[in-house]
Amino acid sequence: MSNLAFNSIRKTFGPTVALQGLDLDVRDGELISLLGPSGCGKTTALRIAAGFEAADSGSVVVADENISNLPAHKRNMGMVFQSYSLFPNLDVASNVEYGLRTRKVDKTERRKRVADILELVELTDQAIKYPHQLSGGQQQRVALARALAIQPSVLLLDEPLSALDAKVRSSLRDEIRRIQTELGITTLFVTHDQEEALGISDRIGVMSQGSLEQLGTPAEIYGDPANAFVARFIGSMNEIPATVVDARAVRVLEVVVPTTRSHDFAAGERINLLVRPEDTSIVAEGDSGLSGTVVSQTFQGSSTDVGVRLAVLDVLISVHVVGSTEGVLRAGDQVTVAVDGARAVFEPAS
Amino acid sequence: MSSRPLRSRLSRIGPNLVLLGALVFFTAPLVSTARQALQTVPMPLLNWNTLSDKWTLAGVRRIFDEENFWPTLRVSLELAAATVVITLALLVPTALFVHLRLPKARALVEFLTVLPYVVPPVALAAGVAAFYRANARWFFTSTYALVPFYVVMALPFTYRAIDAGIKAIDVRTLVDASRSLGAGWVTTLRRAVLPNMASSLISASFLTATVVLGEFTIAVTLAKQTFPTFAFEFFGRDFQGGVALALLTLVMTTVLLGILTILTRPKAVRAARKTDRLAKA
Amino acid sequence: MTDTTITLDGGRTASAAPAARPQRRRFRFGAWMGLLPFLGFLFLFLLLPTYGVVTKAFSNESGGFTTSAISDVISNERKAFYGSMKVSFVTALLGVVLGTMLAYAAATATRPKWLRSLVSAFSGVAANMGGVVLAFLFITLLGRQGLGTKLVREGLGYDLYGTSWFDISSFWGWVTVYMYFQIPLMVLVTLPAIDGLKPAWREASSNLGGTTWTYWRRVGLPVLAPSMLGGFLLLFANAFSAYATVYALNTQANLMPVKISAGLRNDVGGRSPAPYALATCMIVVIAVAMGGYLLLRKRAERWRAT
Repeated sequence: MSNLAFNSIRKTFGPTVALQGLDLDVRDGELISLLGPSGCGKTTALRIAAGFEAADSGSVVVADENISNLPAHKRNMGMVFQSYSLFPNLDVASNVEYGLRTRKVDKTERRKRVADILELVELTDQAIKYPHQLSGGQQQRVALARALAIQPSVLLLDEPLSALDAKVRSSLRDEIRRIQTELGITTLFVTHDQEEALGISDRIGVMSQGSLEQLGTPAEIYGDPANAFVARFIGSMNEIPATVVDARAVRVLEVVVPTTRSHDFAAGERINLLVRPEDTSIVAEGDSGLSGTVVSQTFQGSSTDVGVRLAVLDVLISVHVVGSTEGVLRAGDQVTVAVDGARAVFEPAS
Repeated sequence: MSSRPLRSRLSRIGPNLVLLGALVFFTAPLVSTARQALQTVPMPLLNWNTLSDKWTLAGVRRIFDEENFWPTLRVSLELAAATVVITLALLVPTALFVHLRLPKARALVEFLTVLPYVVPPVALAAGVAAFYRANARWFFTSTYALVPFYVVMALPFTYRAIDAGIKAIDVRTLVDASRSLGAGWVTTLRRAVLPNMASSLISASFLTATVVLGEFTIAVTLAKQTFPTFAFEFFGRDFQGGVALALLTLVMTTVLLGILTILTRPKAVRAARKTDRLAKA
Repeated sequence: MTDTTITLDGGRTASAAPAARPQRRRFRFGAWMGLLPFLGFLFLFLLLPTYGVVTKAFSNESGGFTTSAISDVISNERKAFYGSMKVSFVTALLGVVLGTMLAYAAATATRPKWLRSLVSAFSGVAANMGGVVLAFLFITLLGRQGLGTKLVREGLGYDLYGTSWFDISSFWGWVTVYMYFQIPLMVLVTLPAIDGLKPAWREASSNLGGTTWTYWRRVGLPVLAPSMLGGFLLLFANAFSAYATVYALNTQANLMPVKISAGLRNDVGGRSPAPYALATCMIVVIAVAMGGYLLLRKRAERWRAT
């Protein structure tokens, strides 16, 4: 039973506040991603958990034990760094067994565990190679093996895929998730790549400027963003100027768009309506909707992003259309766009 | 943002002691030299009472009264200038050539530029005597014969400086861009390549000049009259004067180094300063 | 001037690349011509003198080949040889230890921010400093009438010149003065190596349960070892070939460079092979040391790349 909990962690570096009282509970066996732009505090939180930074106030708890005052080398956590963390003078096997040697595990047991873990990351035949002879992806797999060999209570990953090529990134990402689920190890994963976070996490913590903006499952983060920041950070958002009618509707020009999310805006207030491209659609000319002109069509394979410049508002939005629009739409065509406000997020007009 | 292990504050004591010790060791000789050069109180008489007595520039002035001072200084400056010119004329084209046309030769050239280390100045002087005294006496007797050997001595440093300057500017792309826009080789060098190497060329020149102005070994072994040989002989006659000369040399070197540092400041910094000044105007 | 091979198999064979090859082959000889000035210069002013030294070392007074000059010199100048070896070894060892410590202190200093640049810049200047000026500096500090000598005598009650082992013009005096350029040289060579110690290694070691000592013992020092050993060899070669500094401290110093220079100056006619034989031995020692240094440097750089 090892959970990882941050209780009101606060950290400043000189005048900069890196973390403003973080409260987060990673449940046993769960993979939580900390997602956010650089400077949001996600890496700081991870390093405080690892013991490389000391929080100004608050505590870190693992398996119901307060480890805040435990030095880094006594916390039983495995960490995978962004890059270049393998010891260059040791071969793969020696790197992986490093943590076992510090724990005074005897030779036969060490050999066995190293072999097992190398098999898990599918690098058995690279055991005698040195780090400089391996590719970036292989090096990170060794780093993962090394962190897991000590059978840690918690696994910490600091943007482990950022330095890798796109293709390697996605395959390694899936592999990390597979291993994590197989071993059932509590994991904290830091990244700035939302696709990564959405793809592997049980829950995602979106952070900005030292605070946790929203904590939820990938579907919740995507479909029900807590505020404009989260809405914008995940996926793409259209921004449509609108005026609040009441608690259940807004008005864009003369078109009334029903909404379901609760908000604090007063009637008549000007807002930006944040709507996902897939919540907009091109409808027949006579139907209720906003007029606009087709500006671009970007074919994505299974769908097309149609760029439409709305009349009067002069705002460029992206409409998500399933399949191809080749032959159906042309640049310059006049279209009508319907807006579904069910998941829309409100933002004060700037 | 800096990050330090939790025990950081304690672990800085050792390094800080080392830094302090280094500071003392490296500045102490400078202090004693300045005192010796500028104060005419003999050491046995020096104490807290006499500490502020007899500070004078007399020792420094005696330097300039020496009849061999200006001639040998001139000779050394000429040697330095000649060495710088020949070094740049020889190494810049060679380095550019290796980078642009013959990358395969890179390893060989880098090895060759380290060779001068293997033949120390004394041995080189012996070699000059061995070979050129017999085979080219006219060359051997001239003081300017020192120049090519100075070029060889400075080679490891100067080549590395020039090479670093070339590596830093992605010369391949610059040349390709310049030539695709229609410029010939000379124009390309003059307007696209060399200006961007300015700071490394200045550094290399400065390094060379310092080496030449301080080179004593070969000069004294081959019985040439240069500034360092004059300094040595002067020191034997006039202790305070000689020390004053050493001090003067140090001051000049530091000033030149300061000028060099300012001249070779990254362009972005200079541009930013200029913008600041314009904005404030 | 590309040639694309057009074939009748529907364009499955397109070859634009091979066109580059024939052009390069033709110019290959010409390309090396560009190196001629450089090679020629080295030939004339490095190779020929070296050749001159070596041939003179192996010839007797009338010009015939003999190894007797070398063997004579080895037996006669044994003291100078050991003297040079001793000075070089001691200053190299001290230089490695103190230089690494200083480099580490400078590389890991975060406050003030300009400290590292200062140490680096100063080392660049001091490493090349030497010669007579340095000797003068230390004579004013640690000579018989030196400021430092006086301070130590009056402040600590210890008379440097009352002891039998210290004198600015003999062994320990030379060693002290040599440190002024040996330490900076080591700093210059070691700073890049220390920079190459990635913080992630330290943290990973800590994360896996290792203490500071564990890290240094199993990762830090092994990674630095080639650089440190290489530095030792470089410093050794540097000290072995130093002349001006020690000559200014003591014109009669019993070291190889001093003997060579004195021998050359006394032998105006160029008859005696002794100084040349000495110089040849010197070249051999330094060549071995420098060769070792270069090999180790290559090894160290390989690890830095990961």
